[in-house]
Amino acid sequence: MNDDSGGNTGRARFQALCQSLRPDLVRFAFWLSRDRALAEDVVQETLLRAWKARDSLKDETAAKPWFLTIVRREYARSFERKRLVTVDVDELIAKEEPMLAASQDQELAELRAALFKLPEEYREPLVMQVLMGCSTAEIAAELNLSPAAVLTRLFRGRKQLRALCGEDTSQDPE
Amino acid sequence: MIDCSQYRRAILANPHDTDVELAAHRDSCGECAAYTERLLRFEGKLERALRVQAPDAAKGGMVTALRPRHTPVARKWLALAASVLLGGGIAGALWLAAPHTSLAADVVAHMAGEPQAWTRTDVPVPAPELDFVLRNTHMRLLPDAGLVSYAQSCLFRGHRVPHLVVQTDMGPVTVMVLVHESVSKPTAFDEHGYRGTLLPVAGHGSIAVLAKDQSGNLAAVESVASRVRAAIDWTG
Repeated sequence: MNDDSGGNTGRARFQALCQSLRPDLVRFAFWLSRDRALAEDVVQETLLRAWKARDSLKDETAAKPWFLTIVRREYARSFERKRLVTVDVDELIAKEEPMLAASQDQELAELRAALFKLPEEYREPLVMQVLMGCSTAEIAAELNLSPAAVLTRLFRGRKQLRALCGEDTSQDPE
Repeated sequence: MIDCSQYRRAILANPHDTDVELAAHRDSCGECAAYTERLLRFEGKLERALRVQAPDAAKGGMVTALRPRHTPVARKWLALAASVLLGGGIAGALWLAAPHTSLAADVVAHMAGEPQAWTRTDVPVPAPELDFVLRNTHMRLLPDAGLVSYAQSCLFRGHRVPHLVVQTDMGPVTVMVLVHESVSKPTAFDEHGYRGTLLPVAGHGSIAVLAKDQSGNLAAVESVASRVRAAIDWTG
């Protein structure tokens, strides 16, 4: 995003853009990492990197995928830094219980716990589609998959999630 | 012509797919239409589930957004503080557990998922972001509506709808454009800390306009609602 001659308008616009996208970026990072504190750190680093690289964002309409790419890279870097190990999903759920049950809606809490159990290969495209409003083509570009592969993952992800939630899946296709 | 299995596979991958072949199958198959309805209900819950409470960076702008990293000790205290805040908020959020049936109740329930929208500010949402949210809605918002400080495309009752916040003299006012929801006459509501109105829009469903109740009286909200409705330019 290019600054104007004074730079203030460009900075203000970029700041407004960050403000409008940040809540969803934190949510996206949370569902990616299943760790609230890590998600906030990842988004903090993302915003810092985005701020430094803001001139490379030429088109504001491309802001969301641009930020998503940085979030995913920062999340990958956090793995390198912290050498995270595989942990028990039930432990993750217990650790993030205040987040998962924040609405005091039991059905919602169960759905959130089920999302924690969904494999990352299904969870990530599902979150990109439902939360971030990404199209199949945008998800495919971000995950370096073909559109058909994305649709398969979305189909399997939703099917598995519905089963985890105890929904009637008897009419779901194989 | 696709069969039921192909239809359900496609709709499970993208419940909001507008492909004409899918629509034609749904129109001709009662079982698949019912299947889609159940799936869209689930999708609504999924949307709500994913919208966990996110920290409000809007108040502090980049100063807050780019705050220093937490130390582990600081994070522990922050976590404790967050727990206290959450505990305090639980009582206020308990009503969410109750079943809601009316349109007004669903609109109010939706507000709980986006507390960051209620910020008093003079910073408009970037025009491209607003355009992105209004894409596919066949509408644009004229400047008469006021300064739009927040714009999101939200899943509401199975449909993507624009969720906007307009800054007014009485503070931030939320506008939801509900082309899929019809109301027969203006309907005021005052519940759970929000005052608002549902206004019919001929040929385009309705709009919901609401403010937090400490912001002003119902007449003021209705005045803003009329102004916003007049500022919507329908292009299709």
